Amino acid sequence: MRRRPGIGGLQTAAAARDQYRLLGENVAKIRTDLMKEQLDTFRSQLEEFARKHKNDIRKNPAFRSQFHEMCAKVGVDPLASNKGFWAELLGIGDFYYELGVQIVDICLSTRPLNGGLINLQELCSLLRQRRKSDRGAVSEDDCLRAISKLKVLGSGFEVISVGKKKLVRSVPTELNKDHNEILELAQAQGFVTVDEVERRLSWTSGRAIDALDTLLDEGLAMIDDGHRDGRRRYWFPCISPNSSSIGADS
Amino acid sequence: MQKLGEFKLPQFFNYPPYFTLQPVKETREKQVQLWKELILDYCRTQKIFIIGLEEEFPLFSNPVIERSLSHEGREAFLSALVSEGRAEWMDKGHRKCLILWHRIQDWADIILQYVKDNGLEDSVVTIEEIRSGTESQGTELYGIDRTILNRALKLLEQKGKLVIFKGTSADDEGVKFSV
Repeated sequence: MRRRPGIGGLQTAAAARDQYRLLGENVAKIRTDLMKEQLDTFRSQLEEFARKHKNDIRKNPAFRSQFHEMCAKVGVDPLASNKGFWAELLGIGDFYYELGVQIVDICLSTRPLNGGLINLQELCSLLRQRRKSDRGAVSEDDCLRAISKLKVLGSGFEVISVGKKKLVRSVPTELNKDHNEILELAQAQGFVTVDEVERRLSWTSGRAIDALDTLLDEGLAMIDDGHRDGRRRYWFPCISPNSSSIGADS
Repeated sequence: MQKLGEFKLPQFFNYPPYFTLQPVKETREKQVQLWKELILDYCRTQKIFIIGLEEEFPLFSNPVIERSLSHEGREAFLSALVSEGRAEWMDKGHRKCLILWHRIQDWADIILQYVKDNGLEDSVVTIEEIRSGTESQGTELYGIDRTILNRALKLLEQKGKLVIFKGTSADDEGVKFSV
């Protein structure tokens, strides 16, 4: 458009801006309405789906996990609140809260044995023992989900990965890289020796002993002087399948 | 699960570090606790009253994992029982230990129950009869250690529930109940 001088030109420009703005608002409104409509449809579809597969979600851990994944993808958290549609429909909030309480309970009761670090698999099997047969199966995914909800309590519940294994930590101990590497090394046999740590990780003996002493002090390791080669072994109840399920029965 | 005869061994029995005294206090406390329970449980089910520290004792070694308790370990666990009144050293050198899976007081109550069950309220029985008579068969008194039995009877005597009288030999020591 050729620029025209004078008041008339300015007025035309202002009028054009108004027109554009109106048009823009209209388009935006149409878009929002469309989005709202889509969301409503989506929500009702999701509800429909959840209603239809209610029993599967409750009883089948694999299905439950996939359902959660789907919800996460679209930004819906069925566990965000115990009130409202999801909780009423599925009672799924209660399920995880209950699981959370049981997990805390198990972690506390086995703490004297494992120093507050427990293998996720073991936690799950203890959880299953405790829940017996009722109310369907519990998967590791369910455990992880319940633990992630415990984080809001600020109680230091955390899942850490060591090598291939997942460990659940219920004490505020900070494990540094050295400790993690030792735990990873110990997964092969359940124990390590100072020699082995020095050799396999190429550490000085001071570094190895220091890290092992810390793990001992934290109650995460136990010494064993009974092997006939005379070398002290450091065992880690949190990764040995043998140890920490004892406390649960007593 | 590993077994000793009919006795089910706990899982920690197969975990080697439990056979070494732990240096860290909290870990050691839990270790001692588990061993105390195991020793009492085992003695109760197997009717064992005396543990000799230098003798073979099935709980003190586990051939499956090739571990056995050191002398310090044995003494530490038994001492823990002693300090709780669940065991007593029988000599100064701590070589023999009397295990009280029932305290003396509880044994005394068991004797009183036995008296009631068999209508012996005003009768005379020999001490040997209490340990091995037909009435005691199937009760916990059957085969009870002589030392423990004597201690329980003395306690009851102090309370005026019975009178002990000595015979010419240990076999004909007897008691007269007056419950």
